[in-house]
Amino acid sequence: MKLAILIFVLFATFATSAFAHEVRPAYLELRQTGPETYDALWKVPGLGQDLRLGLYVELPVGCTNVTEPRASAINNAFTERWPVECAGGLGGGRIHIAGLSATMTDVLVRLERLDGATQVTRLTPSNPSFVVEAMPSRWRMAATYLRLGTDHILRGVDHLLFVLGLLLIVGNRWTLFKTITAFTAAHSITLAAATLGYASAPLPPLNAAIALSILFLGPEIVRVRRDETSLTIRYPWLVAFAFGLLHGFGFASGLKATGLPQTDIAWALLLFNVGVEIGQLFFVFLILAIARSFRTLEIRWPRWALALPGYTVGTLGAYWTIERTAILLGFIR
Amino acid sequence: MTHMKYQPTRARCGGIAAAIVLLCLDCPRAEAHLVTTGLGPVYDGIAHLALSPADLAVVVVLVLLAAMRGPRQSRWLLALLPTAWIVGGLGGLTFQITASLDWATGLSLLLAGALVAADLNLPLPVVATLAAIIGGFNGFSTGAALARTPHAALELLGILVALIVIVTLIAGVVVPLKAFWMRIAVRVLGSWVAATGLLMIGWSLRA
Repeated sequence: MKLAILIFVLFATFATSAFAHEVRPAYLELRQTGPETYDALWKVPGLGQDLRLGLYVELPVGCTNVTEPRASAINNAFTERWPVECAGGLGGGRIHIAGLSATMTDVLVRLERLDGATQVTRLTPSNPSFVVEAMPSRWRMAATYLRLGTDHILRGVDHLLFVLGLLLIVGNRWTLFKTITAFTAAHSITLAAATLGYASAPLPPLNAAIALSILFLGPEIVRVRRDETSLTIRYPWLVAFAFGLLHGFGFASGLKATGLPQTDIAWALLLFNVGVEIGQLFFVFLILAIARSFRTLEIRWPRWALALPGYTVGTLGAYWTIERTAILLGFIR
Repeated sequence: MTHMKYQPTRARCGGIAAAIVLLCLDCPRAEAHLVTTGLGPVYDGIAHLALSPADLAVVVVLVLLAAMRGPRQSRWLLALLPTAWIVGGLGGLTFQITASLDWATGLSLLLAGALVAADLNLPLPVVATLAAIIGGFNGFSTGAALARTPHAALELLGILVALIVIVTLIAGVVVPLKAFWMRIAVRVLGSWVAATGLLMIGWSLRA
């Protein structure tokens, strides 16, 4: 496991430029209320108190706003609601998000028809528009949530760094299995609880606590290298479970930011979580394969390089902890 | 009972090489190096190699060449190829060019593929020099294409990560291969890559 050092160095380099939980997609909901009428809900992530992302909905030709949008700002997100009338309905029309190409965020679009059938689509900077299907596919909706979950963990550098820290602590395969399972179980619990509304955690202290969990692992990795022991080294699954609860709230922020309606929430939650697990397992197996290849290549790392993983995890954890605590206390915006 | 033996006939090799070259030349050059995953520039860079068959083939054949000579040459390749690629990439960002360099990529494939197929007992300095030149050149080509993107440096960083991972994983698989028929299989793969390079050269000269 020590031989994953090179990955660490690169990881550390770009981790500082990537802020975890930046996955705050915008959300567009179009709920059909009549043959040619829809209620539109447009939610855009806010940038501080008064600013918002410059994203604007362009509906197909033939659609007109029945009234002017009613705007409100809640929880650092700007929301607009307005009724729309589309001659002949939305089927076959193209919906475009202006300004999306210039951002790094996504837009989740949910279209609910009169018969209850829904079409869910994820728009990206490289694919900022889509054609409304005449008959929505349930598989497409499933794939969208699955992809959202996978993307969330792959973009969440702090989650991946925590998993990497755990991998560097565990000593054998059975412990690895228990540790990853404990982390999965724990974050699934809080992800479900937070998404279903049974529990909540405000984002700024949550982000600081997640950073603290990474900082916590740094010294433990150094202890493993020095052949010392601790509660974490003896029972890494225990620590994985405890901090996994925190990370689950973090995953939930990615799903809840979309403002998904209660009718789809269980289905969305399940698929989002499966997506998270796919991303997590991919990362774990990739690291294990790289470590195995390093052994095959008989690489002899210098002493300083062997010490690097622990210090890298600890340093990044400390950096994020300070930064997020400063945000929490209002020192930086 | 007779056993069917797989014979890499000229016709089969030609067909597979033609398929690879079509993949390599699938997209117009301007777009060939630009991949957008929606996950940010670092991931775009990581995805670059996987979605650029010509570059991927160059990396794979160089790893095969080094890994067939054992872990020592593989370790050198792991250090040299990503370094040369990134140095070349930075050069490409600085000195942008618009001319097509497909012929040179084809030449890289032809040369490295032929060496794998021949299975010559090349000394470390030769393999290292080859890796540095080919890596540097392909990096330059990549950098020149990335120069048009707003986060080119981060994409290069992603390419560096992908290179290290790909070289490590493939070398880790190929180095322990001791069976005679495995070595033959690797050499056959080298011949396909060489044929692909030849076709790429012909194609680019014709264009």
